[in-house]
Amino acid sequence: MAFRDEIQTLSGQNVNLCFQCSKCSSGCPLADKMDLKPAQVIHSIRLGRADSVLNSQSIWLCVDCETCTSRCPQGVEPASAMSAARVLALQKGIKPSVKVIGIYYRGFVDNMRLNGKIHDASVAGITQLLTGQLIADLPLAMKLLVRGRVKPPPLPLGGGRFRKIYRNALAREKESRA
Amino acid sequence: MRLGYYPGCSLEGISAEYDESIRALFAHLEITMEDLPDWICCGTLAAPSLSRLLGLATPLWNVAQAEKAGYEKVIAPCSACLYHFKHATNVVMENPPLRAEVEAVLELPLNSPPPTIHPLELLSDDGFEALIRGSVKRDLSDLKAVCYYGCHISRPAKLMQFDDPENPQSMDRLLNWVGIQTLDWPRKVDCCGAHFSMIKPDYVVDMCQHLFESALEAGAEAIIVGCPMCHANLDTRQEAIAAKLGHALNMPVLYFSQVLGYAFGLPDKELGFKRHIVDPLPLLKCLKSPLPTLVTSGTSHFPHSTL
Repeated sequence: MAFRDEIQTLSGQNVNLCFQCSKCSSGCPLADKMDLKPAQVIHSIRLGRADSVLNSQSIWLCVDCETCTSRCPQGVEPASAMSAARVLALQKGIKPSVKVIGIYYRGFVDNMRLNGKIHDASVAGITQLLTGQLIADLPLAMKLLVRGRVKPPPLPLGGGRFRKIYRNALAREKESRA
Repeated sequence: MRLGYYPGCSLEGISAEYDESIRALFAHLEITMEDLPDWICCGTLAAPSLSRLLGLATPLWNVAQAEKAGYEKVIAPCSACLYHFKHATNVVMENPPLRAEVEAVLELPLNSPPPTIHPLELLSDDGFEALIRGSVKRDLSDLKAVCYYGCHISRPAKLMQFDDPENPQSMDRLLNWVGIQTLDWPRKVDCCGAHFSMIKPDYVVDMCQHLFESALEAGAEAIIVGCPMCHANLDTRQEAIAAKLGHALNMPVLYFSQVLGYAFGLPDKELGFKRHIVDPLPLLKCLKSPLPTLVTSGTSHFPHSTL
C-alpha cells in the first residue's frame, strides 16, 4: 500500500484536500521546535515521502493540542495524521527520532499494564531516570511529596483488565497485518 | 439524571486537589455522581502512539463500563481524558467494522455509549445560574484573574461540541456568576505543553512563559484553570520561568472548582489549597469577605443555599 494510503487507513485523513494555506504550521505551539512543520508533514505524506515523515522529529513532538485540526479550513486533521505516522514508524521498526518521547510513551503503557491506571510519580520518575533528567527535577519532586501530591505506588494487582485489552488489541493488529 | 464520574489518573496523584474540590463542590451543590466502576487509565497520547486499536479500545473500556452502569453522562474533569473518550467514541461508533473489532478486544458491547462532558459543560448551563449565584458567601469581586482553558475543553470544535474553540466563555461566565470580573486575555486556549513537562521541560517552560507574560499584561493576579496538566505545568514550573523573566512570579494557579468552592464558603481543607506549590491563600485571604449584604439578609430564595 502506498504511504499516503497507509496514513489514510490509520487516520481517516485525506491529505489531498490540503491546499497548503499553512494555518496548521502558524498555529502550532511546537512548530519552532519541529524539523518539518505540520503543513510540510501533510505535503510530504501527499508526495509519498515516507522516509522523511517517519524519521522526522515532528511526528513525536506533536503534543496533540489539536490547534491545527481545529483551524484547518479543509477539515484535514494534521494531529491525527501525525498520530498515524507514529504508529506506522513503530510498525516499520523505525525508532522514535525523539528518543525521550518514545521512552516515555513505552514506559507509560508498561505502567498501565501493572495496574490499569498509571501511578504518575513512577512514570515521571522512571522516564526522568532513563532520560537523565531526574536530578534536575528532584527538588520539585520533594516539594510535591511534602504537599501530598506524590502518592505511594499501589500494589500491582489491578492490571488484569488492561493487560487483556493490550493482548487482544496487539494480537488482532498483528493478525490483520499478516 | 444519573452521572458517572471518571477522575482519571492525575486526579488520584499530582492533582488530588482538583478531585477534592470537584467532589466538595458537587456535594455542596447537591449534584450526585457515582465513581465509574472498574475504570482504567484513558491511555492518553501514549497508547494511541503505540497501536491504533489499543489507543481506541483503552478509553472505550471506560465508556463501555459507563454504558453498562446506565449513566446518562460521564463527567471527566481532565481534559485529556475527556478528549480521548470523545475521540475514540466518535471514531469507533461511525465505523461499524472498527466497532466490531473494538468490541472483540474489550469483550464488551458498545451500543449507545453515554456522552462524556467536562464539569464546566454541566455547571455553566443556564439552569445552574440561580443556584450558583444564590450559593455565594464570600465576596471575591476584587480577584483579578484570567481563565485559562488550554486545549481540549473546547477544541477541536467538531468533536467537543462545547463552547468556542478560539474564545471560550463558559468558565468566565461561571466565575462572573460568583461575582468575579474575569479579565480578557489572548492566550486562553494556547497549549501549556502538557506531558512534555516530564520529557521536555524546557519546551514547557517556554510555552508557559508566554502564558504568564500575557496574564501579567492583562493585569491578572491569578490564573484559573480546568485541566490537571495545565495546573501542574503552570504551578510547578514558575521558578524556571521566573529565572527567564528576571523577576519573581508567585502567581497562584487555581482550579475553577476551588474558586467556586471558596466563594461558596467551603472550608479551605476540602479545597486542597495546601497542595499548591504557589500558595494561593495569601491572595484569597486579602480579598474582602464575607459578603455583608448576604450574611445579614438571613433568608435565601434558593433551596441549596445554607444562608
